[in-house]
Amino acid sequence: MKERRRWQAAGASVRGAAHERSGMPNQDAIHWIGNGSSLVLAVADGHGSVRYPRSHVGARIAVETATQLVHEFVLGQTDAENLSLVKRAAEEWLPRALARSWRDGVEEHVAANPLSEDELNALGRDDAELIRAYGATIVTAAVSERFVLYLQLGDGETLTVSDEGVVSKPLTKDDRLFGNETTSLCTSNAWSDFRVSFQPITNERPALILLATDGYPNSFRDEVGFLKVGTDILETIRAEGLGHVKDNLEVWLSDSTHAGSGDDVTLGILCSV
Amino acid sequence: MSMRPGGELATRPLHFIWIADCSGSMAVDGKIQSLNTAIKEAIPNMQDVADENPNAQVLVRAVRFSDGAQWHVSQPTDIADFKWDDLDAGGVTAMGKALSIVADQLKIPPMDERALPPVLVLISDGQPTDDFAGGLQSLMNEPWGRKAVRIAIAIGEDADQEVLKKFIANPELRPLQANNPESLIKYIRWVSTAVLKSASSPASQSAAASTLGLNVPIPALPDATGPSADDVW
Repeated sequence: MKERRRWQAAGASVRGAAHERSGMPNQDAIHWIGNGSSLVLAVADGHGSVRYPRSHVGARIAVETATQLVHEFVLGQTDAENLSLVKRAAEEWLPRALARSWRDGVEEHVAANPLSEDELNALGRDDAELIRAYGATIVTAAVSERFVLYLQLGDGETLTVSDEGVVSKPLTKDDRLFGNETTSLCTSNAWSDFRVSFQPITNERPALILLATDGYPNSFRDEVGFLKVGTDILETIRAEGLGHVKDNLEVWLSDSTHAGSGDDVTLGILCSV
Repeated sequence: MSMRPGGELATRPLHFIWIADCSGSMAVDGKIQSLNTAIKEAIPNMQDVADENPNAQVLVRAVRFSDGAQWHVSQPTDIADFKWDDLDAGGVTAMGKALSIVADQLKIPPMDERALPPVLVLISDGQPTDDFAGGLQSLMNEPWGRKAVRIAIAIGEDADQEVLKKFIANPELRPLQANNPESLIKYIRWVSTAVLKSASSPASQSAAASTLGLNVPIPALPDATGPSADDVW
């Protein structure tokens, strides 16, 4: 029997060229937890404008709560033989749980760190809008021995790369994500805006899963140029190893924001090469 | 040295389109000359804004409308290379046609989904004489038409404020009322600097928060001037 290759994770996040000029912090975040048989990766993008004064914190809370919750979910599937039940739970329960855990994390943070006068003014001094200060997206992927799970709320990109180097998008397109607008964890019905894809592992599994905040695809002249990232990274890993990618990723992303979008740029990689 | 993954990198295009009324009434009391002067004077300011944000490529075009509507500057021109040829006035006010030809250029393609929201500046001193509603509808049918930053400048008291409000389609923004050359220059400078700067920022926001159309934060309006002895229009 062919031995399963173990999963490894890598990733980096760099402050956007525009944020370097304005002195704003990096509004993106990245986090992963797990081991070779079960790994969860998440990237998030805080909205960044003055109307969302704590979105960099919101992004950090998003990746931390999402990876923790999804990892517990994956480990908790003791009846992993019944993948249809797992799929249903992933599609129906996880989005609500993710939105709720992010909101809980934000409420905990704001209780310990009350908003300043300036931040309150940015929110229009509306207490009902406190959550908005932390507005962020979330893009996450989980891999286990039996299935791969993708969940995304808001802009950013989820790509898979097959052993043959074919790059695909496992999630359906959300036409609302246009211009500089995105769905957000900070809305009251955020759970309903998640896109979810559950893929049982039968014979094949992706060689790579790439999660990116929108600053990365927006740095390429066209989508073909962005999708080429998938095949190029696969070839680089095969030729020089994942360590080589880890050593160079931050420089690659920094070059991308400076010559491209100017936005914060984050790329996370799950690798089973 | 390791090869960077992916294809060619590129800054994000920001399309800025002047939509100028060139009807016969614009020839009265030097309005068209004032508009030409104001736009010419704005070019260096726009170049400065573009220089401050090298991640946005500011591309400028212009449409003129009178008996019909034509592209005055048809090619999206990098602001660094942009030059203004004077408009002249004569004819009626085919504003609806002007919006239609802008709408054609906001389709995807030729527009790019990764572009920054375009800025459309409509300048008029009168009332449309053609199918304004149809032209506006064609503009709003395009995703980039709906997401564009739409600014209107009314020249003189005869400008149709209601039509310009429909173009803006945002209750938080009003048409800018220019009743003399100085106020026209001030408003043109505002859209070409403050608004352009805001539109070139990559900050994102919740779609739910932009139901009023303010998908780009609009900077504070320049001081409104009430009727004055300097008013000539």
